[in-house]
Amino acid sequence: MSGAAPDSVAGAALAPRSARMGAGLGQGWLLLGLGLAMLAALLIVTVFAPLVAPYDASLTSPDSLAPASAAHWLGTDSIGRDVLSRLIVGGRTTLLITVSAVFAALVAGLVLGLAAGYLGGLVDEVIMRLLDVVFAFPVLLLAIAVVAALGPTVPNLILTIAIVYTPAMARVVRAPVLSVKQWDHVEAARSVGMSELRLVLRHILPIVISPILVATSLTLSQTIFTVTALSFLGLGPPPPDPNWGGMLSEARQFMELAPLTVIGPAAAIVYATLTFIIIANGLREVLDVGSVR
Amino acid sequence: MMRFVLGRLAWMAAILLGVSLVAFLLMRAIPGDFAIAAAGSQSVAPEVLATIRRDLGLDQPLLAQYLAWLGHALTGDLGTSFVTRRPVLGELLNRLAVTVQLTLLAALIAAVMGGATGLAAARLRGATDWLVRLWNGLMLAVPNYVVATLIVLLFGLYFPGITVLGYTPFLEDPLACLGSLLLPAFALALAVSVTIAENTRAAVLEVASQDFVMVARAKGLKPSAILRDYLMRNALTPVITAAGLKIAALLGGSILVETIFAIPGMGQYLFESINSRDYPVIQAIVLVAAGIVVLVNTAIDIAYARIDARVQM
Repeated sequence: MSGAAPDSVAGAALAPRSARMGAGLGQGWLLLGLGLAMLAALLIVTVFAPLVAPYDASLTSPDSLAPASAAHWLGTDSIGRDVLSRLIVGGRTTLLITVSAVFAALVAGLVLGLAAGYLGGLVDEVIMRLLDVVFAFPVLLLAIAVVAALGPTVPNLILTIAIVYTPAMARVVRAPVLSVKQWDHVEAARSVGMSELRLVLRHILPIVISPILVATSLTLSQTIFTVTALSFLGLGPPPPDPNWGGMLSEARQFMELAPLTVIGPAAAIVYATLTFIIIANGLREVLDVGSVR
Repeated sequence: MMRFVLGRLAWMAAILLGVSLVAFLLMRAIPGDFAIAAAGSQSVAPEVLATIRRDLGLDQPLLAQYLAWLGHALTGDLGTSFVTRRPVLGELLNRLAVTVQLTLLAALIAAVMGGATGLAAARLRGATDWLVRLWNGLMLAVPNYVVATLIVLLFGLYFPGITVLGYTPFLEDPLACLGSLLLPAFALALAVSVTIAENTRAAVLEVASQDFVMVARAKGLKPSAILRDYLMRNALTPVITAAGLKIAALLGGSILVETIFAIPGMGQYLFESINSRDYPVIQAIVLVAAGIVVLVNTAIDIAYARIDARVQM
């Protein structure tokens, strides 16, 4: 699919400026600040999970499907485990997979996108055509197929999600590089004999970094969705370690008896997704992405 | 135009070939022996395994296996289920029919909801605009399976008399069929409607600032006529494109939504196959679903080029 087919990541990132959340630069900083504060809260809670969690996440008790109380703020699940503690510890697994996978996709996308955009010609053709094949699959479907084939372990999940999001990342990187490499300062640097690698790193990368930051943030929000969806389908990290998608799926059986077992993980997933979307929108306003295309 | 179409079709064929290769290789990458997976048990006599290997062609070189598999797939033989021992194609087509109904209904709901809210936001501005933007921003962060789960929870808690799970075939009772698909389709449509609303809003605002709209207003055309003949007409193309590109999202999302609402579509079939390690079925679904997305995207590209001459380079 050519440039006429914006993907889910770039599609949102490259939406017309008037279509975006927030209106001006002031609002951009406000959004970014809000998003970063939400992220900080999320990171503090999950990084220090064992200290923050009131109970051991796999500790069972006879007090099953209990409603919210002073002892169990979000009640307990079907085998008496504290829902809040499981949410906090489960956030760790979910975020670890999400962040590692997106980082891997970012690195791969940077290398492939810079190579394709800067070198152009045959290299560009080969790289982009191969990525197009991966891109032809619906994200979740490809992730399911790869994890089902490789087996659901944490490293496999990270690898799978990195593969799935690499093409979108490479496209976001490649598009601005194509135009920036024609600019005068690049031409000037080349004419004074700067090495190709140094040229790319010093004079091209800094200019294309803004759309990449926005795309990374949006990809993080979508990866939360993919990771939790895989876990929801039983293709998440193996038990007994909790994770948000798995918790949501397990809790469905008894959800009428203890609604909090479902609402808890659902709220956590929405919170994390919203955090990254808000950061992406703030970054977009502040960095004025859209002028570099 | 002809050259463009032929180019797109050739490109589509190449992509489909790549897709088939990925689908084939993935299922050869499963841990352990494919023949043991096919036999369904670890403790199988070596002679039986040898027979299975020969029957499945596993003793052939990989390239020969792929070509044979591709040849079968092209002639409608998508393999045999490890679980039911019946051809995958028949069951897959039954399931696909259900998923197509669900997806079409979801697309319709998303188009109506997204179009209406986007248009309202762009025309009324002010508080309406603000509310629509806020709603869109929030809904973008709620995955469809969370929406689906919460709907089921809500009905379970407050309307226990209403059955929200399950599916009634269309030929049995068209109205009941529609009823059984309405909530899942809504859950599926919500996220897509947000994209459509944002695109509609942006497109209408863009068109409204054009000179020809000002001319129309200056010569005294009624606002309703301007809306119908100028704004909606011109805003439609980008909106349709954005909507069409969401087909992949709808197909992917149906996996989860069908599972939650117990709709016997392709998504639920995939979920069952994952749990029973029914690899030929997983492979067939991946191939068919990715194939559909490629076909739809190519159709959109070509349709778009027909509507908008600027697309052709």
